Amino acid sequence: MLKLAWRNIWRNKGRSIITMAAVMFCVIFAVVLRSFQVGVWEHMVGDIVANNFGYLQIHQKGFWGDQNLERSMDESAVDWSTLQEVPGVRSLIPRLESFSLVSTGDNNRGSLVLGIRPEDELAGLRLTDQLVDGRVFSSASDEVVVSEGLADYLSVEVGDSLLFLGQGYRGASAYGQFMVSGIAKISNPELNKQLVVLPLETAQWMYNATDLLTTVVVDLESDADYAAVKLELAPLLGEELELLDWEQLFPELVQTIEADMAGGQIFVTILYFIISFVLLGTVIMMVSEREREFGILVSIGMRKTRLAAVTVLENLMLLMSGAVLGMAVVKPVQFYFKYNPIDLSGQMKEAIEQFDFEPKLYTTTSFLINLNHGAIVFCIGVLVSSYAVWKIMNLNPVKSMRS
Amino acid sequence: MSKPVIEVKNLEKVYEGVVPVHAVNGISLTITQGEFTALKGPSGCGKTTLLNMLGGLDQPTKGSIAIGGVDITTLSENELIDFRLRNIGFVFQAYNLIPVLSAQENVSFIMLLQNRPKEEREQRARQLLEAVGLGDKEDKRPGQLSGGQQQRVAVARALASKPQFVLADEPTANLDSQSTANLLDIMERLNKEEGMTFVFATHDDRVIKKARRIISIEDGKVLSDN
Repeated sequence: MLKLAWRNIWRNKGRSIITMAAVMFCVIFAVVLRSFQVGVWEHMVGDIVANNFGYLQIHQKGFWGDQNLERSMDESAVDWSTLQEVPGVRSLIPRLESFSLVSTGDNNRGSLVLGIRPEDELAGLRLTDQLVDGRVFSSASDEVVVSEGLADYLSVEVGDSLLFLGQGYRGASAYGQFMVSGIAKISNPELNKQLVVLPLETAQWMYNATDLLTTVVVDLESDADYAAVKLELAPLLGEELELLDWEQLFPELVQTIEADMAGGQIFVTILYFIISFVLLGTVIMMVSEREREFGILVSIGMRKTRLAAVTVLENLMLLMSGAVLGMAVVKPVQFYFKYNPIDLSGQMKEAIEQFDFEPKLYTTTSFLINLNHGAIVFCIGVLVSSYAVWKIMNLNPVKSMRS
Repeated sequence: MSKPVIEVKNLEKVYEGVVPVHAVNGISLTITQGEFTALKGPSGCGKTTLLNMLGGLDQPTKGSIAIGGVDITTLSENELIDFRLRNIGFVFQAYNLIPVLSAQENVSFIMLLQNRPKEEREQRARQLLEAVGLGDKEDKRPGQLSGGQQQRVAVARALASKPQFVLADEPTANLDSQSTANLLDIMERLNKEEGMTFVFATHDDRVIKKARRIISIEDGKVLSDN
């Protein structure tokens, strides 16, 4: 039966090749489109979440909704040693973050002030790789690293002083004057415009928040599943603390991703809708051409169900050949653009940057996308084959042989 | 006396329409094993309709058809298909071979449907192709064979399932004289040597001359039976 189905595919070579090519290009187009879409978000999430904010964060309950130093937690409230032993946890990273007015000369800007220990930090905040000028501050010093965008805005250079003015813990005034030890390019455009980083202990001192933290970032092993680690960690926290994953930390980002994905889905759905009709046309033509032959096969003793199965097999083999070819051909393209993203330029670049997104188009190499589209083609194959099945099941051998 | 293979009683086939057409009108007949019978008559007399009903391809409006004692008018669609597969061989006017299969595969195909083992299929297909004089053409596809050769493959295919009888609808209509003579010789030999029952629907005199029983049909009725 397999042999018969295979040979039937090649009885009209031209049509089969055109059908296969149509499916192949459809899969290539759909996979490339989705790979860029998923890749861009994957990169963005990787950049924002994995490199800067972490997949999991521990806070005093309510801090994330109302980011106020009054909702900071005491370092001793966290059972550091127990939490670090949870499988999948690489380290726990303490931070103190708040907002201050940062000024120099006539320029000032409300800025995100982040107290960290760079040597313990996530890749995006280790600073050494991000520095475009100067050096990283030394521990507990009166030095800061300023993000490149903010430095441009304030027109500061390494060695200049910055004045900080804000509100500290329990209503105390928070002010200080610190020297710029370095300027860093932060990959996230939003952070790059407003971030000032200083030693954790210095930040605690300025905000009158000795031994207090606003955030403990849970740094995960590269192969760890954050949802599984979250389940392990949550019961180990005290009642006053909360553990949020990145989807809870950035619901707007999740919504934006979902909205963008839905837009892409609509586009791909339209594409598949069109290709479905092309394939249905092929199946209608095939059934019409072979109606007489179907009649003969049923006459000589082939059950209609068996004949229908051969026809479905034939269609699926034809469509899946195209789909598999498409899935294979597109793979190198996915790999190429993952490591060589398309740099956007001109108005497109400006438009993207307005939304604080990096103006580069990456692809994902996830084979799941290819498999998904292979599965979609399989379903379309089953669907369009149902026409042939319907025709065969309602076939009258005598009438068919006269056709 | 030979046992009856086909027993038809009061068979009627009416095609409904503005004016109902009685394609077969009260035919009764019996065909016994080993017969070489021709149903003759002008176009539209009802011989093909009768043949289709004998082969279980068409349902009668009235009457019964018993094949080997089984009333095929009472069988379900699938039972009828299986019955045809095991009991009836068909030879059609337009050869009707599967174009993507070789001669040997066309003959084997029916045995494949019967779930016979591969070795048996191949051996019998080869024997049958030898019997119809196409032993050297077993790898050829229908498109590579002449009309006469294709019809001989169709005869081999009809015999492959070891049927009780073979129904042949105008088997020589598309053949030249030489091919017709060859085909008839082969079928006559199979009839005489193996006792295979053949029923033809034809208006070809060359076939009628070879037949040992001739049933003349006109307006859906048996006019004569000699």
